[in-house]
Amino acid sequence: MDLPAPIHDFLLVFLGSGLILGSLGVVLLPNPIYSAFSLGLVLFCISLFYILSNSYFVAAAQLLIYVGAINVLIIFAVMFMNGSEYYKGFSLWTVGDGVTSMVCTSLFISLITTIPDTSWYGIIWTTKSNQILEQDLISNSQQIGIHLSTDFFLPFELISIILLVALIGAIVIARQ
Amino acid sequence: MMLEHVLVLSAYLFSIGIYGLITSRNMVRALMCLELILNSVNINFVTFSDIFDNRQLRGDIFSIFVIAIAAAEAAIGPAIISSIYRNRKSTRINQSNLLNK
Repeated sequence: MDLPAPIHDFLLVFLGSGLILGSLGVVLLPNPIYSAFSLGLVLFCISLFYILSNSYFVAAAQLLIYVGAINVLIIFAVMFMNGSEYYKGFSLWTVGDGVTSMVCTSLFISLITTIPDTSWYGIIWTTKSNQILEQDLISNSQQIGIHLSTDFFLPFELISIILLVALIGAIVIARQ
Repeated sequence: MMLEHVLVLSAYLFSIGIYGLITSRNMVRALMCLELILNSVNINFVTFSDIFDNRQLRGDIFSIFVIAIAAAEAAIGPAIISSIYRNRKSTRINQSNLLNK
């Protein structure tokens, strides 16, 4: 998105802090309904982040499918199965939680020490420079539609069959 | 540069999702943490597609596939959880011993 650099950086920091606090809230809040709404905040921030990185179609799909469908379904599941058992044992901190937090912290530290060491810009600029003229002719959504109906036609049909089978299976399981 | 910051952010989301997936005792919260992990994968796809592959947009198409898989998973998961809840009156992970009969 063509914004001036200070506004872009400010939006990036704002969305990043929203992501960090929201994902901590998903994991650490004791009541599942609060963590479901916090998940909605995280998904909305990710959708705005996609708009910042020029992927408007994926941003719209994220906003429609994740925030509109999946989050509503999760909130419905939380409200449908809300018992008094959630409030009993949220304060106990077992050994397994400590071990898991140690493992996940070491995973995160190893990832963020790997990221600056990799030379990302050595792998680019091979296919981009000669095709930059026809980039502006058609829009982003048109390009995604053309690629979905030509190159990725078989995975597209397989995804639709998987969605159909999953919906029928969910109805059969939940119906009894 | 912006790329490393975004990769650190997505690594943070991934490790938080792994932590919540292992330590949560509620099945619905485990589903939420699974969505966090899939979203971190999607952030990586969209960022690499934006910076490295500006014309072909394969990262966007793969993130659309991941979103579709997440939709299928979010349809199946609450159905299984509601079936377990109907039999056990509980959604705790460590009490689901339906195969034990």
